[in-house]
Amino acid sequence: MLKFVIRRLISMIITLFLITTVTFFLMMNLPGDPFGEMSQKMSAAQRAVLYQQYGLDKPMFQQYLQYMGNVLKGDLGVSFQYPNTSVNEKIAQSFPASLELGLWALLIAVVIGLLLGIIAALNHNRGLDYAAMFTAVVGVSIPSMVLGPLLSYYVGVKLGWFPPGLWDTPKHRVLPAIALGFSTVAILARLMRTSMLDVLNQDYIKTAKAKGLSQTSTVIKHTIRNAILPVITVLGPIFVNVITGTLIVEQIFSVPGLGKHFVQSIQTKDITMIGGLTIFYSAILVVVIFLTDILYGLVDPRIRLAKGRK
Amino acid sequence: MSEKKQPTKILDVKDLKVSFKTYAGEIQAVRGVSFDLYKGEVLAIVGESGCGKSVTAQTIMRLVPSPPSFIKEGSITFDNKSDITKLSERAMEKIRGSEMGMIFQDPMTSLNPTMTIGKQIAEGLIKHQGLNKEQAAERSVEMLRLVGISNPEGRIKQYPHELSGGMRQRIMIAIALACSPKLLIADEPTTALDVTIQAQIIELMQKLQEKTETAIILITHDLGVVADMAQRVVVMYAGKIVEEGSVDDIFYNPKHPYTWGLLKSVPRLDLEHKSDLVPIPGTPPDLFAPPKGCAFAARCPYAMDICLQQDPDKFEVTNQHKAACWLLHPDAPAVEPPVGKGGKVHA
Repeated sequence: MLKFVIRRLISMIITLFLITTVTFFLMMNLPGDPFGEMSQKMSAAQRAVLYQQYGLDKPMFQQYLQYMGNVLKGDLGVSFQYPNTSVNEKIAQSFPASLELGLWALLIAVVIGLLLGIIAALNHNRGLDYAAMFTAVVGVSIPSMVLGPLLSYYVGVKLGWFPPGLWDTPKHRVLPAIALGFSTVAILARLMRTSMLDVLNQDYIKTAKAKGLSQTSTVIKHTIRNAILPVITVLGPIFVNVITGTLIVEQIFSVPGLGKHFVQSIQTKDITMIGGLTIFYSAILVVVIFLTDILYGLVDPRIRLAKGRK
Repeated sequence: MSEKKQPTKILDVKDLKVSFKTYAGEIQAVRGVSFDLYKGEVLAIVGESGCGKSVTAQTIMRLVPSPPSFIKEGSITFDNKSDITKLSERAMEKIRGSEMGMIFQDPMTSLNPTMTIGKQIAEGLIKHQGLNKEQAAERSVEMLRLVGISNPEGRIKQYPHELSGGMRQRIMIAIALACSPKLLIADEPTTALDVTIQAQIIELMQKLQEKTETAIILITHDLGVVADMAQRVVVMYAGKIVEEGSVDDIFYNPKHPYTWGLLKSVPRLDLEHKSDLVPIPGTPPDLFAPPKGCAFAARCPYAMDICLQQDPDKFEVTNQHKAACWLLHPDAPAVEPPVGKGGKVHA
C-alpha cells in the first residue's frame, strides 16, 4: 500500500508540473494585453513601468522560471485586474462558498441519486423503475440555467419557502444546492441502477438467497457494497466539478463563489488569475482522484491487495 | 454402491411444470417432472445443457426469479410438510439455508468478493440458529475444518479472491451444510473445476454425506460423477424425464435411446477395443413450441411413426426402472442397445 501511495504521489507531482507549464505558455500566448482597456489610456512610459513591475518585460523563459518558483512556494501571483489583491487571497475569499455549495449539492446528489438507482434496480421493468429513470432523464435534460431560475422564481419568490438568492443563512443554501446537484442526481441514479442490476444477476446473490437471507439483507449486505464500486470511481471528478464553482448557479443565486472569477479572468486576460485558478482546480482534481483510489481500495479488498503486492 | 433406501421420504416432486414468460412467448423449461428422494440418498439428475435440470433444482428452493418464471402446475412436498410451490417468500426464507442447502456450478463467482469467508459462512448460522457473532465464527471455523481447509482460523478472515477454485467450492459446501440441512442440492458442483480437484470435491461430498445422512440431488452432465456418487439416476431431456432407475439400471441396462447416446459420448479408457466417441447428432427442440410427439424423436435413430405423433408414457422395466420410449411397447420391434455390451463387460 505504501509503495502504491508513493508512486501515486510522484505521478501527481509530475501531472501538476505539466499542467502548470502548459497553462503558463498557453496564457502567455493569448492575444491582447493583460491590462485590457486600461492600457490604451496609458502612455508608453507608464506601460513600461507597469510591465517591469509585473516582470512582463523579461524573456519568456525567465518569466516561466520565476512563475514556477513562486508556484512552488504556493504563491500564485498578483491579479492584473484587482490590483493589490493576490490570486491566493481571491481564492481564499471565494472558494469557501463554492466548496460549501458543492458539498451540499453532492450530498443531495449522492443520497437521492443512489436511492433512486437502488429503487429502480429492485423494481426492474416495473412502475417505480420507469418513474425513477424518468426523473433521471429529466434531470439530465434540464440544464441548471433553466432549473435555477425556475426554482428561484417559483419556490423562492412565489411559494416563499426558501430565499430565492444570496448566501446568508443555512436556508439560503437549499435552492442553489438543488439546482447544482440535480443533474448529478440523474447521473448517479442511472449508474447505480445499471451497477445494481449487474450485481443482482451475480451468482453470489443467489448464494445469499440460498442461505435464506431476506431480500432486505441480501440487498444491504451483498448487493449495494458491490454495486457502489463504479459509482465511487466517478464520484471523484464529480466532486471536484461541483465544489470548484459553477458560474451559472452562482450567478443565478448570487452566491459569492469562485465560478465568476473563472469566466472573468479569461474575458479580461487576467493571466495570473487564469493560471492560478487552473492550477488550483487541477490540484484539487488530482488529490481527489488519489483519495478516490484509496477509498476504492478500502471498499474492494481485491484492489487493496493487488496494489499492495506490486 | 449399495442400495440403502430408508423409508423417510424427504422430497416428493409431482408433475412439476415451470415456464418462463418472455416477450416472444412462453418457454416451457420443465414439462411435467416427477421424482422422489429419501433420507440419505443421492439422486443424480443428468442431461445436456438446457434440458431443465437446473431449473428443476432451483425451483425446489424457489430460487428461479419470478417473474419471468412461474410454476405452472405440480407440487413439491418437502419433508412430508407443506407444498413448497405454495409457500410464502417469508416461509421459504426459513427453509432455505436451514433445511435445504445449495452448491452452485462456478465457485469463482458464487462467493461475494467483498465479504470475508467467515462472515459468509456465519450469515446463515446467525439467521437460522440464532447464534451471536462469536458463536457463529466458532462454528464457521468448525465447518471449514470439516470441509478440509487447513488453518481455518486464518482463512475465515480472508476474502474469496485469496483462495483457489477448489477451496472456494469447499467454502460453498461449508456454507450449504452449515445448518445441517436435510437436503443438499449440488448444481454441477464439479463442472468448473479441473479434474484432480473434481475428484477431491466428490470425495469430500461423499464423506460428508455418509457422516450427515443428508439427501443430495446431484445435477450434472458428467456421468463419471454420477457413477461415483449416486444411487439413483434421473435422465432429463427437453424438460421431461426420459429414463429413471438405479445407477446399475442406467449404466448396465439403459432402455432409452437418449441414455444410450449419453453413454456412448463418454470417453472410456477401460474398454479392450478403442472406440470413437459418438456424439448425439442434432440439437434439443425449441421449448417455445415443444414437438407433439417424443421430444427426442428428431434426433433418434430408432424413431418410428408413432414417436412423431404421440409422446410416450413411462414404461416400467422393473418397479424402479422406467423409461419413456415407444421401443418398450410390447408391439415395438426389438432393438439391440448399442451400449449394452460395453457396460455388460463389467457387470
